[in-house]
Amino acid sequence: MIRQFQALSKKEFYESAATFRLYILLAVFLLFGMLSPLIAKATPDLLAAIDTGMVIEMPEPTALDSWTQFFKNVAQMGMIILVILYSGIMSNEFSKGTLVNLLTKGLSRSVVILAKFVAASIVWLASYLICLGTCWAYTIYFWGSVEISNAFLTFAAPWLFGEILIALLMLGGTIFSNVYGSLFTCFAAVVVLNAISLIPKASRYNPASLAGGTLALIAGAGEPSQFIPAMVVGAVLAAGLVVATIEVFKRKRV
Amino acid sequence: MEELFKYIPFLIPIAVIQLALLASAVVHILRHNSFRFGNRLMWLIICVAVNIIGPVLYFVIGKGDD
Amino acid sequence: MNALEIKGISKSFGQKKVLDDISFQVPENCVFGFIGANGAGKTTTMKMILGLLKPDNGTGSIIACGEKVAFGSSKTNRLIGYLPDVPEFYGYMRPKEYLSLCAEIAGLDKKSIKGRINELLELVGLSDANKKIGGYSRGMKQRLGVAQALISEPKLLICDEPTSALDPIGRKEILDILRQIKGKATVVFSTHILADVERICDRVAVLNKGKIALESAIGELKVDRKSKSISLEFDKEVDADEVARVLASKGMAPAKCEIAERSIESLFLEAVK
Repeated sequence: MIRQFQALSKKEFYESAATFRLYILLAVFLLFGMLSPLIAKATPDLLAAIDTGMVIEMPEPTALDSWTQFFKNVAQMGMIILVILYSGIMSNEFSKGTLVNLLTKGLSRSVVILAKFVAASIVWLASYLICLGTCWAYTIYFWGSVEISNAFLTFAAPWLFGEILIALLMLGGTIFSNVYGSLFTCFAAVVVLNAISLIPKASRYNPASLAGGTLALIAGAGEPSQFIPAMVVGAVLAAGLVVATIEVFKRKRV
Repeated sequence: MEELFKYIPFLIPIAVIQLALLASAVVHILRHNSFRFGNRLMWLIICVAVNIIGPVLYFVIGKGDD
Repeated sequence: MNALEIKGISKSFGQKKVLDDISFQVPENCVFGFIGANGAGKTTTMKMILGLLKPDNGTGSIIACGEKVAFGSSKTNRLIGYLPDVPEFYGYMRPKEYLSLCAEIAGLDKKSIKGRINELLELVGLSDANKKIGGYSRGMKQRLGVAQALISEPKLLICDEPTSALDPIGRKEILDILRQIKGKATVVFSTHILADVERICDRVAVLNKGKIALESAIGELKVDRKSKSISLEFDKEVDADEVARVLASKGMAPAKCEIAERSIESLFLEAVK
């Protein structure tokens, strides 16, 4: 089992590199890491440059503006790119039938799902950390060292949301065997989660708030304990989705 | 001009990434001739004309399977 | 001992009954031809032997190499090699990389992997191929498919229509490889090309409308249904009438004697030599 897991996750990493998925993710997230502080810093200058005659009083940008940009970029464009790049994670195998050879060699079906999920998670973590590190470095460069309260909780939240998205893509791909099924499942789930957040009482537990909603923590506003329920629900949801994917895959005709 | 110097630490790495993306996309397009849709000329134009997004778009949805 | 025993298996997809209570045995170390028209249920049977499909509830059993096959479980798969009708690979890998992935999944001893891979590539004639699999022809993919199926030295090799999609040269290569395997493993292969069966099979089963219509050793088949014709080949052109006259003078007047046309296959093989 462990050897199969190693062999298959090695294949997954090799695949991300061979299909350029790895490089694109790293490059895009590195770019976001740079763009976030840049946009924060340059917005007043840009507005000044477009001289419309109106005098717009812009407050001097702060480190918090840089982090706001960071969460906005990662939560929107970043997640979209992650989802598109990993939309074929299961369906490419099914539509081509590439798993047949491996499964008939005694490859365990749970190992397939786990290895894929873990490999994708590590790539996503690496991309996210690069983005975070770059943004952090530039923010310090421009605004000096900044006290960040509850850093771990704040920054772990968007990563966890990405994990949920990856698990959703895998479940959708396993059920429908095609890219559109993956994307639809993911999209539908995000719509549902956002709909739930309209209910005030539920929003505390809603993983949808993980994508960018913990920003308040950095500013020092809000209690970390407020976000912990959503984190726990998010982690349980991601794990549950992976288990569900394994169960669906075990019953699937290949 | 002074204003611009402030942004040098950003501009250089961003330019490097952009050029690296552009170069790898163009080389890939010239060496492979299979696309999920569109043709070689179209993708070359998109990659050259649209900064960053062009090459990313090519690798994400334009590149054909081997 | 039998390499494969199938007893009373049925399978329906919805209302359609694909297999109706089929049974047959495959003795060890033979080449077993599994013949049937397209859609006769050959692939269904093979997928059930591999545990990829579930037989209808409560019907029969499949025993491969002395172990019972269970749906969804991969326990018996280490004893069985499988070549799908169109084997699919990861196009970005090279043959050695792919085979080493297979070897690790099959749980081969780390030290023996390299030797085993070289041995197999030699067997299927891909020793010099080091390009990415994505650019391979059907024939090359089929040969690589045989190599991956044999990676764990299975006792039973199951090939689903290994020659149907190939040109005559590719077909010949695959059949030659299968013949070489005989003796090391039992080969079961499905086909609708009867010429292939004649070339390499020891036993055949004919599947028709979900039932086994005929099962026998090739030798017995031929003895049972003795042929009344004989084919002759001469080094030079001869006149058919003269041959008939000579034979008639010896008291063996043929009912029919005519010059055989050359088969297109032999012409093709000669032309592309």
